[in-house]
Amino acid sequence: MTPEEQRFLLVGAGLFVLGAIGFVTRRNLILMVLSAELMLHGVSLTLVTFGRMHQTNEGQAFTIFTLTVAACEAGLALSLVLSLYRKSHSLDIRLWSELRESDMSGPALDSSGDRGKLSSYEDIPTLTPAGIVPQNPPRAAAAENVPTSNRI
Amino acid sequence: MSEDLQQIVLWLIPAAPLVAAIVTAVLGPKLLRYKSHLPCWSALAVSFVCSLILLLKILPSVEQAAPPEEVGVAISQTATGPQVIASGFEWFNVGSLHANIELRADSITAIMLTMVTGVSLLVAMFGSGYMSHDPGYPRFFAAVSLFVFSMCMLVLSGSFILLFVFWEAVGLCSYLLIGFWFQKPSAAAAAKKAFVVNRIGDFGLIMGIFLIWKHFGSLDFVTVLGNAARIAEVDAQNPGVIQLICFCLFLGAMGKSAQFPLQVWLPDAMEGPTPVSALIHAATMVTAGVYLVARCTPLFVMAPHAQMAVSGIGAATAAIAALIALTQTDLKRVLAYSTVSQLGFMFMALGCGAASAELVTPAVTAGMFHLFTHAFFKALLFLAAGSVMHAMGDVIDMRRFSGLKHALPITHWTFLVGAAALAGVPLLAGFWSKDDILAVLQEASRSETHGLYFGVIRVIAIGAAFLTAFYTFRAYFMTFWGPEKFPEEAGHHPHEVTPIMAWPLRTLAVCAAGIGLLVGPTHLFGDYLQKTMGLTPEHEHHLHWGVMLMSSIIAVAGIGFAWMFYVASPTIPAAIARTMKPFYVISQGKFFLDEIFMGLIVFPLLGIAKLATLVDKYFIDGIVDTVGKVPKALSIIPRQLHGGVVSSYASVMWVGVVTAVVLVLTMF
Amino acid sequence: MMMWIQAHPLTLVGLVLWAIGILWLIPGKKASKPRPHMLGVLIVAVGLVTFCLSCGKAQSELADDVMFWVFAIGALMSGVLMITARNPVYAALWFALATLSTCGLFLLQHAPFLAAATIIVYAGAVIVTFLFVIMLAQQSGAAGYDQRSSQSLLATISAFVLLGAISLTLQSEKIDIARPVVAAESQAATGGMSILSLNVSAEPVDIVPLLPGNLMSKADAKHPVGDLQGLGKSLFGDYLFAVELAGTLLLVASIGAIAIAPRREQGAI
Repeated sequence: MTPEEQRFLLVGAGLFVLGAIGFVTRRNLILMVLSAELMLHGVSLTLVTFGRMHQTNEGQAFTIFTLTVAACEAGLALSLVLSLYRKSHSLDIRLWSELRESDMSGPALDSSGDRGKLSSYEDIPTLTPAGIVPQNPPRAAAAENVPTSNRI
Repeated sequence: MSEDLQQIVLWLIPAAPLVAAIVTAVLGPKLLRYKSHLPCWSALAVSFVCSLILLLKILPSVEQAAPPEEVGVAISQTATGPQVIASGFEWFNVGSLHANIELRADSITAIMLTMVTGVSLLVAMFGSGYMSHDPGYPRFFAAVSLFVFSMCMLVLSGSFILLFVFWEAVGLCSYLLIGFWFQKPSAAAAAKKAFVVNRIGDFGLIMGIFLIWKHFGSLDFVTVLGNAARIAEVDAQNPGVIQLICFCLFLGAMGKSAQFPLQVWLPDAMEGPTPVSALIHAATMVTAGVYLVARCTPLFVMAPHAQMAVSGIGAATAAIAALIALTQTDLKRVLAYSTVSQLGFMFMALGCGAASAELVTPAVTAGMFHLFTHAFFKALLFLAAGSVMHAMGDVIDMRRFSGLKHALPITHWTFLVGAAALAGVPLLAGFWSKDDILAVLQEASRSETHGLYFGVIRVIAIGAAFLTAFYTFRAYFMTFWGPEKFPEEAGHHPHEVTPIMAWPLRTLAVCAAGIGLLVGPTHLFGDYLQKTMGLTPEHEHHLHWGVMLMSSIIAVAGIGFAWMFYVASPTIPAAIARTMKPFYVISQGKFFLDEIFMGLIVFPLLGIAKLATLVDKYFIDGIVDTVGKVPKALSIIPRQLHGGVVSSYASVMWVGVVTAVVLVLTMF
Repeated sequence: MMMWIQAHPLTLVGLVLWAIGILWLIPGKKASKPRPHMLGVLIVAVGLVTFCLSCGKAQSELADDVMFWVFAIGALMSGVLMITARNPVYAALWFALATLSTCGLFLLQHAPFLAAATIIVYAGAVIVTFLFVIMLAQQSGAAGYDQRSSQSLLATISAFVLLGAISLTLQSEKIDIARPVVAAESQAATGGMSILSLNVSAEPVDIVPLLPGNLMSKADAKHPVGDLQGLGKSLFGDYLFAVELAGTLLLVASIGAIAIAPRREQGAI
């Protein structure tokens, strides 16, 4: 193995490991999906390097399949995240803990008080409203009336 | 009649009521409603006609077809008498036990079938009038049809195993019908009591069947009962086993036929609708025990002690029931105790074979004859009592009404005929059969070996016959004579029965009056019955003029006393009750049998059950709970992993992957 | 292992610094004020540079070397910043940067088509969709759960144990693979005991029996690895059925996404 290949493999491993850390530690549903994509990047890089080592195109062909599956996964994951978000008005993975033992208390959740206080940023981008203003109150307003803790 | 046609006729007898039961049960509540009697009626009519064809056409033709020299000649061979077998299908086949669903009809079966289906048909007609407006109308007719089906199968079964199945089915129908008004706590309790008491008898029956299986290797009637030599052989090999079998079978018969001390359920069974009382607890079901003993005559012949027990129990039952009936004020209960008493008479007769071998056939004939006539007049009496009850607004206490003979003329006349037949008034049905029984007892008391025993039983029988006449007419006089008095529930305008209820009463009255004369002294009944397997046809017939004279006197005396006490000078009963207070109380309290049973059996059992509950609750449950706590304690730590948080699952998986990969990599 | 530490002390130091930097940057278990951000970035950067330096020097041109450094450090640094970002929008953007850097690495590995495809699929489609969803979901502002993380210590330590083990394995002298010898390629297999190789041969041979593989995917002098024609032959030759299956999978996934996502009445499909 040449140092050339070795360092590519190490970078691939590093990306994979970083994705894993992100998947385990982050609580945002979308960030978890993104971390999984980062792991896929690491795998892709490793596959390409292996293909080059073996002088074959199979590594790249495999990576194309990985890309396909990743695209499918991203689409499905986003639609699932959307439907989960509609139920809880939050992207917190901890809200979904029905699999726990029935006599165990649920995971600790944020208290409502610290919501914006600890935030290091306030100017989070949002979608700009477009089109005609609807007659009914928009969903976001209705959603805000529903307390997050109702769902649990 | 061709073979196939015979089979169809035979199958139709039980199949029609079964179809009616299913149709009524399925369609009744929604579709048929108050027309639910129609399937039942038509099915019972079909069954009755088929039974008549069987009785009058098929069996005589079979007899003619059989070679004459085979009938009752070779005792070493299997002698079955005329029989028709309708093969069905195999039920189960375990080891050497082959249980087939097949019907076997012989003379005794034909007689029972005709009686059961005929009386049932009349009772069902009466019931459609009696039960009208009852919300459980379809249920009633479904249960009645099911009952007739079970009873037909019981008498048609050709093996002990099928007999036991339908023995239980009959018990189930009895439970359903006694508890028909299950909203009433007393009815529910009575149904439960009947079921539980019957269980004791059924235990005996199934023990007897097990013993038969063990020693005969078969449960088929023909194999077990048809070969006298085989029975003798078994008896020689295992001394006493036949006695044991017979005792066990008789225990079953005692339960079903309400013999002392298991008779306690029958009076309580009067909680059911009156047509049910007439059908099940007077005419048909309770005779199953008598039928069983008569059917097993070949076994009982080899067991004189069992036969003596049969007679003794019968006598005790007859006497006790008659004494209790003297003081009861509930019309239906009087009739119920008279039923118990008459069943006692039948068993008395059945046991007389112990005195001498020649007496076996007349004894069984007398018992079965009494069963046959009793079915008619007891059904009649119950239906008449039912129509009294109907008119009186469901009041059945005789002290609350009297003098009904003008208000209810049809009921009055039919009840009178039934009462007279029960009391044994000459020329009526009960006279001939009771006379047969007394004659058999007289013969038995002349025997050298057990003469004294049967002498005592004969005296008891005569006493019970006198009491029968007395209490029957006591009930009659109290109900229909005296000043006119109606309870409030009747609305002061009692109405006579509707035609649909009147015609069964009239028909039964004619039967009760005439059927004894028709088949008794002409020996039609005896000759027919004696073709049954195990009985030897007797050819000498003689009328017992002395016995007849005596029983006439007894009957008339009983009626006379009743008239004197309850019509001529109504103060006498009270005076007697005062002077003989203890006896009156004992009779009024039904010999306190219920209370004795309660104290001797129920309360100790309850105590044991309480004890067992305590052991179960604190000892067994404690062990089980402790065992259950072990896994829970073990799981305290691992269950923390199962907190439902996706991240923790992911991290556990991640740590596992890292461990595995690092292990693999460091192996290089 | 001790030998490896002695031989590659820089790798270990790099890994440790890197891990410390991540732990510094990542949100804590309890919501707290963010630590000084630039310090963490600095630690991670130092660790990364140390790690990459220790990866060994290739005998390639300087330009290639520089490009590798840029892309590798860019990808890893973006990854670190992505998983530690407290704002999901930034995280998505860092992910886009990591994707771009990875595509650069693909280019260095002679995979131009793959690099293009990845950029189109990820940067062009996936990231944009993610951003839309994030903005849709977070219209009410920053969420508390983005300020916290769970089990960061356990995850980071185990992850870097794995990375260390992989480094140890890759840098050990023992490992080697069967190296096909193509006429155009002059790189010969290095000597030594081979575990994975099927032919233990130090001599370059004209035709070498390879690991079992698909014939149409082989690279040759005319069509080196990553050549678009060779890749097409591989995909539509050896993997034709798989390509069809992947197409079906895409169709099914898009139907599934359409079925799951829209807001609709209860019970309607």
